[in-house]
Amino acid sequence: MQKRLFILAALFLLAAPMFAQKYFTRDGKVKFFSDASMEKIEAVNKSATAVLDAATGKMEWKVLIKGFLFEKALMQEHFNENYLESSKYPNATFKGEITNLKEVNLGKDGSYTAKVKGRMNIHGVEKDVETTGTVKVSGGAIAIHSGFPVKCSDYNIRIEAAKVSNISNEIKVTVDATLNPMK
Amino acid sequence: MKRILYFLLAIACLGGAIGYYLWNKPHENMQTAKADMTIDATALFNEFNTDEAAANAKYLDKTIAVAGKVKETTKADDGTVKVSLDTGSDFGVLCELDPLSQHARTDFAAGETVTLKGICTGLNFDVQLTRCVETK
Repeated sequence: MQKRLFILAALFLLAAPMFAQKYFTRDGKVKFFSDASMEKIEAVNKSATAVLDAATGKMEWKVLIKGFLFEKALMQEHFNENYLESSKYPNATFKGEITNLKEVNLGKDGSYTAKVKGRMNIHGVEKDVETTGTVKVSGGAIAIHSGFPVKCSDYNIRIEAAKVSNISNEIKVTVDATLNPMK
Repeated sequence: MKRILYFLLAIACLGGAIGYYLWNKPHENMQTAKADMTIDATALFNEFNTDEAAANAKYLDKTIAVAGKVKETTKADDGTVKVSLDTGSDFGVLCELDPLSQHARTDFAAGETVTLKGICTGLNFDVQLTRCVETK
């Protein structure tokens, strides 16, 4: 009887990590960089959220546009009012999944290259996107890094002719987040 | 004729000076910024979760003072400090301290009642406030 109880308890302990399959962070970093001939512009948001379902590889990211901090107040103002229209479209999201989950063992420490596919929503415009990123699993946490270009014209963000030498149409975006098991 | 030229030159200089000033316009000083309103953390969180669009219209971009109990304080490697205010739910009001301000303290004990003033950026699981400073 005792032996049976012991085996049952052991089975439960082994199965426990299987239940904690969702990973989350509210401290994701999203940075972007515009490299135009006349001007370089950089901004960062350190409060992006990300949820990853380790069983399916599905993930969701969300970042609030008004939370991007720029070096210059005027740039931040223009970014919000003229380009991203953040009062109308307060957030940007990505919903997608890791498509090569067979090669990315989220249950085992290591560094993997993940292929990701999904839908990005910026400025109220939704687009299919695909990119790759690195996934580092260590001690139960999952660190994700990725970088990809975002074209303003794809998301209906209009840059006036007078500003084309100040603002690049192709913005370099990087995302960094360390996700922990959801309690 | 010359007078007109001088006049135009003066206008151009003035324009340039205004442009230069605007270009270098500093970020708002959060220590001295006046809060548009003061609200309890739980009430704010509930408003956002009841009707996000209405809450966005009311609070986005506004400097608000939020009072509540500290749930936890986190410090990132890069120095970013975030104070989470309890709302009785899994999520709360997440206040990121202003990187441009001097803070009297960056340690907030769990359970302590504080009032933080910051700019509301919207709902992302938590209601988020950026550029926060503690108000007395």
